[in-house]
Amino acid sequence: MTPAIRPRRAARASRLPIFLLLAVLLPLLLMPLAAVFIFAGRGGLPAFQQALSNPDAQFAIRFSLLIALGTALVNGVLGTLAAYVLSKYRFRGREALTVIVNLPVAIPTVVVGTSLLLLWGPIGLLGRFLDPLGIQPMFAPLGVLLAHLFVTFPYMLGAVKPVLDELEVTYEEAAYTIGASRWQTFRYVILPALRGGLFSGTLLTFAHSLGEFGATVLVSGNLRLRTQTAPLFIFAQFEAGNIENANAVAAVLATLSFLLFFTLLRITRRERQEGA
Amino acid sequence: MSIVLSGLTKRFAGHIVVNHVSLEVNDGEFFVLLGGSGAGKSTVLRMIAGLSEPDAGRIELNGRDVTYLPPQERNTGFVFQNYSIFRHMTAAENIEFGLRIRRAPAADRRRRSDELLELVGLAGLGNRYPHQLSGGQQQRVAIARALAQDPAVFLLDEPFGALDVKIRAQLRQSLKEIQHRLGVTTIQVTHDQEEAFELADRIGIVERGTLIEVGTAEDLYHRPRSEFAATFIGGGNVLVGRAEAGHIRLGGATLPFRPDSPAHDEGAPVRVLFRPETVRLKRERFARGGPTHTLAQGLVRDRLFAGPVQRIRLDVDGLQGVRPITPPPAYGQRTTQIESIQPSDAPGELFAPGQALWIGVESYHILEPTGLKLLVCCDETPGGEAVSEFGGRLAQAAGGPATLLSVVGASEAVAQARDRLEEMRRRYSPQQPMVHTRVRQGQSSAEILIEAQEGSFEVAILGRRSGADEQALGATALRLLEQSEVPLLFVTTPRWPLHRMLICTAGGEPGKTSILMGGRLARRTQADVTVLHIYGSRATLGEIARATRHVQEAQATLEAQGVRCQSRVEGQDDVAASILAEAESGDYDLVVIGAPRPQERHRGRRGELVFRIVESTARPVLIVPVVS
Repeated sequence: MTPAIRPRRAARASRLPIFLLLAVLLPLLLMPLAAVFIFAGRGGLPAFQQALSNPDAQFAIRFSLLIALGTALVNGVLGTLAAYVLSKYRFRGREALTVIVNLPVAIPTVVVGTSLLLLWGPIGLLGRFLDPLGIQPMFAPLGVLLAHLFVTFPYMLGAVKPVLDELEVTYEEAAYTIGASRWQTFRYVILPALRGGLFSGTLLTFAHSLGEFGATVLVSGNLRLRTQTAPLFIFAQFEAGNIENANAVAAVLATLSFLLFFTLLRITRRERQEGA
Repeated sequence: MSIVLSGLTKRFAGHIVVNHVSLEVNDGEFFVLLGGSGAGKSTVLRMIAGLSEPDAGRIELNGRDVTYLPPQERNTGFVFQNYSIFRHMTAAENIEFGLRIRRAPAADRRRRSDELLELVGLAGLGNRYPHQLSGGQQQRVAIARALAQDPAVFLLDEPFGALDVKIRAQLRQSLKEIQHRLGVTTIQVTHDQEEAFELADRIGIVERGTLIEVGTAEDLYHRPRSEFAATFIGGGNVLVGRAEAGHIRLGGATLPFRPDSPAHDEGAPVRVLFRPETVRLKRERFARGGPTHTLAQGLVRDRLFAGPVQRIRLDVDGLQGVRPITPPPAYGQRTTQIESIQPSDAPGELFAPGQALWIGVESYHILEPTGLKLLVCCDETPGGEAVSEFGGRLAQAAGGPATLLSVVGASEAVAQARDRLEEMRRRYSPQQPMVHTRVRQGQSSAEILIEAQEGSFEVAILGRRSGADEQALGATALRLLEQSEVPLLFVTTPRWPLHRMLICTAGGEPGKTSILMGGRLARRTQADVTVLHIYGSRATLGEIARATRHVQEAQATLEAQGVRCQSRVEGQDDVAASILAEAESGDYDLVVIGAPRPQERHRGRRGELVFRIVESTARPVLIVPVVS
């Protein structure tokens, strides 16, 4: 009788790579995030509350949320339109346009800020005609919004266009034969099918806008109580040595981002289950 | 008439996808468009629904011209292969969608969707979302949704293509019942013959954008008119024999024409279809005069047990002059294959491979004759243009399919040659849809020979290169005459129209084939024919009498075909010279001569009668090989 061959453990993969990955990620990603909360909580709740009750801090958080909301709304509509046109229409220059609308991902945000200044600033290409009229988009809330719209434009597109591309034209055709107009088809057939993409695109835009720094710092002029966003506030307080103030706002920002992120995760997961 | 299509045409990027489709579908009829993938059948359906705009033609639905109406205003119900039911709506919401956008009251909508869910067998499942339904159920929802607005016509594009066989059968059954109950005029597109047979009141067969044939399933199966229908639907044996004195000659066998058979010219090819299940097999010959006609003896090649039936393939040797269309002969195979289907309880040893069996056919069907099938060989020389023009005209007169062929040496020249042929096709035969173009690469004579044999053309038209004088007939012609039985039409200077035709039946040569071929050409071009027989000056009285009788028979045959004809016999020693003299004096537009049998052909090529005539006249000459 031949001895039974012991089954080797090769069938189950070693867990070593998992531990390696964790060991790398811990100092790289997890610990810095933890540090924010640890520092923010160090002075106890009263210190945290006091730091947040600072009017500059309150303005910065409110302003950031407002800008993020505006950006998400405007780019939500614009991005969907861009996705619809680029996905459903065939025209000359479509390829080029696809590249152009995705360009903001590749351009450093500081460069975006500079280019906006060179266009809308007091001596900019367009700004110099507006300046005599008393219109000054730069160093004003509008400038911040413009910068954020620019920087976050591709996120909506990236979330919606793949869904549109996958949505076969027969769904629209089915609606047409049933009697739905082009608008009704968009409203009742296409838009609901895009729901998941719209949600995640908007949240993504919102989150990115909330954290935008590079372009904002240039176009806003960092004016407190006027154009200072939360990230700018954090930076300014750090530079001035008010670490508690900076930490408190950073903790709020981080928490908000986490919430957004988990909502996003849940939505995409649900979409995937239903989409099958 | 619910649906009337006339001359519907659609091109995509210059390619014709739907070619002059005309069709009338009756009220309440279930019509199926059957065809292979890419045949253009879906495009027809999409044009009816308004999802695609025709380039030409007209669409009428219930007497209303809807050709250029948007899909919303046509009131059609459309079912897609991929269901396309809206994923974010429940089954009921999907069905109610049309009513909702028409702002129908909620209660009415509810009632309608319940009604339709019941109709398609999904009662109680209205609240389910698509992802909670199986593929078959989703397609039922799609059917209900398409029917919710009481459409004038119901259109289904391969609705069961994505479903597995069992579900497909159930759904087919349901669809048939629903359609019957509602009496809605329906067109379904499918590539599945079984589906078409089960569902359709009538079937239209589509191939390369053309509606080839329309009929009931039984008509198309048992009595198709075209070769495509015969071979596309069901398995079948299609053999090409010849019409001979009111019979069909198939090698050694003759079958009588049926009373309902389409008329064939004498000597014309006859395409005979017999379905495998009607083929009888026996060890002994079938009795003469019985209901079964003996076809030939064959050897069992193989036997396939397929459950309810067994499929037997036989090799038949010696069906001379018979060309099999299906089953298609394998490369290098000389024998003809016949397929037979036998009940599966028939004794297997009878059909063991190698067994010699007699093959009998009881019921057979004769396909519509096509016009003369022409091969026009075009080459680069200026004369080549003239040849193709002549070919185009002849093809038009003959009413048959024609192929413009060009052979090029280098692969780089293929595209250019193709463009040239396409342009010729447009120029010379704009209203002839059955003209095809073909470019082959390789050595000219070899490629032309292969094309002539494979395409089974009835006449090959060759231009004669002036200047190639080492052998006036050229390598191609010689090769064709020696290795194929295709009649060759030499054109040096085209003459059109053909008013006068001279058919020569020279001494000692039977001439029957040349008379028949010349007659077919003359009938179609309405040329007057002169039959000339020349006997040697030392001929005996008996020989002269035989020649006279022969010529009179020829004249009778031609006149029976409706050709104006006169005949003459002449005694001359130099046959070629007297034919040439007659050709000149009568100013004939075409001279027809029979080519002798191959073994005779090899004795002294140059002195040969045929070659001398071709060399010495600029008139078109048709050389008809003599089939012994």
